[in-house]
Amino acid sequence: MNEFDIMVIGGGPGGYAAAIRASQLGLTVALAEREALGGTCLNWGCIPTKSLLHSAELLRNISHAGQLGISVGEVHFDLAAMVNESRSAANQLSQGVQHLMKKNKVTVFTGEAVIKSPGLVQIDEQEILADNIIVATGASARSLGNIQPDGNRIWGAREAMTPGFLPGKLLIVGAGAIGVEFASFYATLSTEVTLLEVASQILPVEDAEIAELAMAAFRQQGIEILTSCSLENLQADEQVVRASIGGEIREFDAVILSVGVKANLSGSGIDKLGVKLLDGFIEVDDVQRTNLPGIFAIGDVTGGPCLAHKATHEAMIVAEEIAGLKTHPVQKSRVPGCTYSHPQIASIGLKESDLKDRPYKVGRFPLYANGKAVVTQQTEGLVKTLFDADSGELLGAHLIGDGVTELIHGFALAIGHEATEESLIQTIFPHPTLSEAMHESVLNAFGRTLHL
Amino acid sequence: MTEGMVSEWFIADGDEVKQGELLYALETEKINLDVDADASGIVRHSIETGVNLAPGDVVGYIYEPGEVIPETLQAIPASAAEPAADLPQGIAVSSRMPVTAATEPSGRLKSSPAARRLAGELGIDFTVLAGTGPGGRIVEADVVLASSRTESVKASPLARRLAEQRGIDLSTVVGSGPGGRIVQADLDGIKKQSVAKVAAVQATAGQVIPLKGMRKTIAQRMHQSLQESAQLSMDMLASMGDAVNMRTQLLKEWQGEARPTYTDFVVKAAAKALLVHPQMNSVFAPTGITLVESINIGIAVAVEEGLMVPVVRNADKLTLKDIAIETARLASGARDGTLNLDDYAGGTFTLSALGMFGVDSFTPIINQPQSGILGINRIFDGLTWDQDKPVKTKQMNLSLTWDHRVIDGAPAAEFLATVVELLSEPYRLLV
Repeated sequence: MNEFDIMVIGGGPGGYAAAIRASQLGLTVALAEREALGGTCLNWGCIPTKSLLHSAELLRNISHAGQLGISVGEVHFDLAAMVNESRSAANQLSQGVQHLMKKNKVTVFTGEAVIKSPGLVQIDEQEILADNIIVATGASARSLGNIQPDGNRIWGAREAMTPGFLPGKLLIVGAGAIGVEFASFYATLSTEVTLLEVASQILPVEDAEIAELAMAAFRQQGIEILTSCSLENLQADEQVVRASIGGEIREFDAVILSVGVKANLSGSGIDKLGVKLLDGFIEVDDVQRTNLPGIFAIGDVTGGPCLAHKATHEAMIVAEEIAGLKTHPVQKSRVPGCTYSHPQIASIGLKESDLKDRPYKVGRFPLYANGKAVVTQQTEGLVKTLFDADSGELLGAHLIGDGVTELIHGFALAIGHEATEESLIQTIFPHPTLSEAMHESVLNAFGRTLHL
Repeated sequence: MTEGMVSEWFIADGDEVKQGELLYALETEKINLDVDADASGIVRHSIETGVNLAPGDVVGYIYEPGEVIPETLQAIPASAAEPAADLPQGIAVSSRMPVTAATEPSGRLKSSPAARRLAGELGIDFTVLAGTGPGGRIVEADVVLASSRTESVKASPLARRLAEQRGIDLSTVVGSGPGGRIVQADLDGIKKQSVAKVAAVQATAGQVIPLKGMRKTIAQRMHQSLQESAQLSMDMLASMGDAVNMRTQLLKEWQGEARPTYTDFVVKAAAKALLVHPQMNSVFAPTGITLVESINIGIAVAVEEGLMVPVVRNADKLTLKDIAIETARLASGARDGTLNLDDYAGGTFTLSALGMFGVDSFTPIINQPQSGILGINRIFDGLTWDQDKPVKTKQMNLSLTWDHRVIDGAPAAEFLATVVELLSEPYRLLV
């Protein structure tokens, strides 16, 4: 019988990172994955969609190349080739994870791992003993009532990133990050997109001002956006999807359901062991411990924000906890979030609406006043910062505009180190870069803007 | 206690008070207490603030609703002032007097212009620094040293600012962030402290500082101690290289749980040494010398108005880590006035640290009725000899004052040697 210090169930960005870190700390580690290493993020989420969005971005830039003095002929695109490229990026990275497992001497089992009891896992016919079990089984798309993706014209995220055809008219239900990214991708390929959101704003987790700016930008690109609006009924046949929205029947070539995720609980069998749940996700303490002895959980299966980097961070905590090191719990207000639409949205910390009962300062700096944005003609956007008026603590940062997903880590670092406005103001940002807009936003909050 | 006074009425004369509400502030020679109302009703003051009181004196009355309130208060022996009567003994002060560094008779500080400029830039109060220049003059290096001491506390920029705004001394806070860094969360729940600014007693020429409260106690007790006992002091040099290394390692090891200070090392070393030399842990009375069984070590803590000596009880039975946690609690509690009277009672030996001011030797005054007090000085780069080669090594002078009525020089030196030996082999403090 195989015996390990740690058995990790799930090979996504939580699971494989936990395996690597635990191995670095001298523990013997096994990892079970039923599909491909890298999990949803790498195979069916972050990575392939970013590949598609990169294709779309290039297409958009090439179409606008004339403004920068480059004449191109008529521009064509090949959707199937874009999808192939995204698949090969996913495969390449998945193989990279395989290599990492080998390099770190992690024993990988392919198959569904079922926890029989604390300390005992079964994979097919094999029984594996492990003092510690880490459940990192992730989450999968929620269905909308009895409406399920059928792979034909009703799509979930997987179908939406491997489409068999380019829909002329597309309905996207749910305007969270995933829905918005698909809206952006398909709109760039000239699909007529309708984006439906039950909440009063698109990107409901984002700052209202930023969501408003995003909505205006998307509308300008021709995306139809319906907020405070729900899908009443949906019927699909071989030819068309009929959706009932606001009492009206409308026809689409396809529909994408992106209405959130639910924890993957049943595969690992942890749901049968009496694990404690919170809102349908596994409840864990500061060091990712479940209520079951020797069983930990990390990543999406423990609830939101369902983001790969949160899972990876929790992976470090759990591995270090098991190895007996001192750890620091995840502070959810310090997890940045990114949406890779056009324009991009990135944020961290509190929103302005969270600050009602405390004195705060807000800084705003529009990208049209940033030199680098002007030369790249990406002047649409805003950097918004929020500070505690008394202590100068950076409470939140909310960015919209192309390239901002590569900027947000600067504010993540600042918030993580509890920087005050003083440290940010004292920092020298390089010129000419988009990052100067971050500096200016901070200056603006304290009445010191230079370029407005 | 022997006397006290109402320093503030929180409920005005004739106003209504509810049971449990703050009624008045009692300032005694040892401690300031906020006294709650025992009952609800109308408050009448019998005395004004600032009037000296003896135990049992009546400070006022609370009349029940409907009760006839006399126009003139009669002098009934009542129990309203009782909270003051049973203040325990055992709070005392050591010789840690306000430092006015290198003060010339005129009161002028000797300091170099560069030191004053740098101190200004760094926001350091240079009047509390010990000068190392000619004639005790404060020079730039002293300011740099002081600033490095402040900086050596790891804290986030936000925590530093909040500490400044809330008046919290970061050196008393245990950091829970990465690498033991003090973060915002560590400051939650810590109340405003009166940062131990010795400069608080700085006076302008001609001003008379009234002799009351803690100042009066210090004056009386210090003078009394010197008058009544046969005190003398001696110094001994301890090699601190291993202690410095061990502390660095322990800061890492106990990250987020405890921040051991050198004083904690000395608490542990002294407690172990007192076990071996019990005469130093004794009380003198004309009838005889009582060897005290428990080892309770008082630590002088500077507070705004003077100093307090909270006590680490049964220090010999506590681990170094427990001591570090307890002294952190006592130090911050003494500064923000949240300690119980018990925390000040029952000391059997006292430590007084002046090392942070750059002091290398002093003659602490015994905290009566104890028999010894140990002064902790600065850790500095000293020299030892390896064959005929000089080797740089961390050293610290320890200044012991003892009562010759109780102990003679030889056993006192043996006690001090044990402390020094334990500090130079600090791993023995972990067992």
